Amino acid sequence: MDETREPDASELEALTRALEQDEAAASAPAHEATHAPAAESLPHADAPAELVGAGHAEHAGSGLESADFLDPQMDLGMFFSSWDLFGDSALAGAIAGAVLGFLGVYVVLRRMVFLSAALSQVASLGIVGAFFLQLSLGLAWFSPLLGALLATFVAITALTLGVSASRRDGMLGFVFLLGASGTILLGTQIVQELQDVQTLLFGTAVAVVPGDFTRLLVMGVVLGAVHLVGWRGFSAVVFDSEDANVRGLPTQALELGLLATIALAVSLSTRVLGALPTFAFSVLPGMAALRMSRNVPRALWTAALLGGLAGFLGYLFAFLFELPVGASQAFVALLTLPLAQAVHLIRTRVRHFAAP
Amino acid sequence: MKTLACKDLRVGYGGEPLLPSVNLEVESGQLWAIVGSNGSGKTTLLRTLLGQQAPISGELAWSAQARIGYVPQRARLDDEAPSRVVDVVRAGVDRGWSFLNPFHVRRHAEAIARAMEDTHTTHLRHEAFSQLSEGQKQRVLMARAMASTPDVLVLDEPTSAMDMQAEHDVFLLIDRLRHVRGIAIMLVSHHLPVVAEFATHVLLLDRECDIVLTGPIEQVASEHHCRARYGRILQEGIERRSQHLCALDDSHDHLHDHEHHAPHGHAHSHDEAEHG
Repeated sequence: MDETREPDASELEALTRALEQDEAAASAPAHEATHAPAAESLPHADAPAELVGAGHAEHAGSGLESADFLDPQMDLGMFFSSWDLFGDSALAGAIAGAVLGFLGVYVVLRRMVFLSAALSQVASLGIVGAFFLQLSLGLAWFSPLLGALLATFVAITALTLGVSASRRDGMLGFVFLLGASGTILLGTQIVQELQDVQTLLFGTAVAVVPGDFTRLLVMGVVLGAVHLVGWRGFSAVVFDSEDANVRGLPTQALELGLLATIALAVSLSTRVLGALPTFAFSVLPGMAALRMSRNVPRALWTAALLGGLAGFLGYLFAFLFELPVGASQAFVALLTLPLAQAVHLIRTRVRHFAAP
Repeated sequence: MKTLACKDLRVGYGGEPLLPSVNLEVESGQLWAIVGSNGSGKTTLLRTLLGQQAPISGELAWSAQARIGYVPQRARLDDEAPSRVVDVVRAGVDRGWSFLNPFHVRRHAEAIARAMEDTHTTHLRHEAFSQLSEGQKQRVLMARAMASTPDVLVLDEPTSAMDMQAEHDVFLLIDRLRHVRGIAIMLVSHHLPVVAEFATHVLLLDRECDIVLTGPIEQVASEHHCRARYGRILQEGIERRSQHLCALDDSHDHLHDHEHHAPHGHAHSHDEAEHG
């Protein structure tokens, strides 16, 4: 299955249906912005038809119908006047980008770039597994999100406990392949609702429903608080866990906590936005921030800022230039690297000339 | 103050002891050198002492108040990680769950400054850690270990990546920390000549002969087995030490001179009366 593909119109209808079902299961109200009738009340009466609700999602999502690339039919005014419709989705990208960008500093420093890829595959297995249990055993309460979280936490625990750092790389490969092959094998057994499974597996950054937006927001606040309080502990474990252990820091709890927060962010973001932007956010802003910062605290906040900007601007550019949203967000995240290199070079030059 | 006691301690892997049992008592102000050839079990013993590995049998007891500072063989900090020297040293103040207290580092600003002063790293505070020489990095790691005001400092082959002069300077610094702070120091090394100059006590591991010798350096050097295998090296080191006439302050000045490209030399101080 192509993880990076954005849904087409029929898939988006299925998405809306699946999300409604998911929302209903969670007793959350459906969001008006994902429905065409709500869009009819847009302030811009002359807004193009594509802008309306799922119609716009089709436009931004497929990217295939765009005749004039870089010839925006939309403008910033339209975007902000339609904030009720697209605000949650744009902010969802920003929140996921900020949280994953922040955590990405640890991912890059621990050389665990493969971790987020492996976890997103395992999360997919959890989603398919939940569907399978729902359909075959009638466990309606076993939601896809619960499946994703459960699978990622099991994987994280397996990667943390009893696996030496030198073996972890190989174990990541094992987890990745288990997730990828398990998803395909189990997914093909679910003939019914295949469309829904695909939508839930790969998410869509185009139209984020309020329930998912709220979950992302709560996750951002909780993880932000955890890392604000515990960053010195997490940094100590990432930099030199042996020294941290000698100083009596709870290294195993910190390690588990760090990986668990990464797992939570990756699984939720994969579920809501899709695998491509999730992977991009969890690697690229962290790399860029480490290049342009003088110490770790600054790198953490810089990465959060860059990730947040990539999430928001990626969505905005997708709106303006009718691009696939996930790819647009990933591309903007990519641009942080040359930006960081430029900042690094300028700073080096300035220091060189300022030196006595 | 007694900081560490080991009684019939056996270390190894998978229930198989690597060495004969170890008996020792470490007190404040002593410098214990754990010496032995490659593969003799030094690192296994050190890991066991630091609690990274469970002993096979015997007793291992750190005093309840003992605070351990640890200096690894090489800096594990990734060169990609942006860290100034002062950031690395600050990271050393946390113990237990103190990292949850946002004011903990600020409250220990004085200890951080003193650790940097004692290790002569104050002038490097804003330098990027990755840009330092190996000798400078080792001093910064010592400052990190000293920032939490430990009672015992454990160093794992602190000079393995250094040339002879840098190694000598690091030993001078270690010796000075022992004098100034009165802390116990345990270090792993396989450079017997320089160890013999500075150590007050030795833990000699010899897997070939299945022997562990522990005690004051003169006593160990006089053991029959030790005399036969290492006698000349140890005796020369002990003699060099006894010839040192300079006082502690001179050694401090000497170290400073070295940092500013002074000519090489061997003048440093030792407390000659403390051995045995």
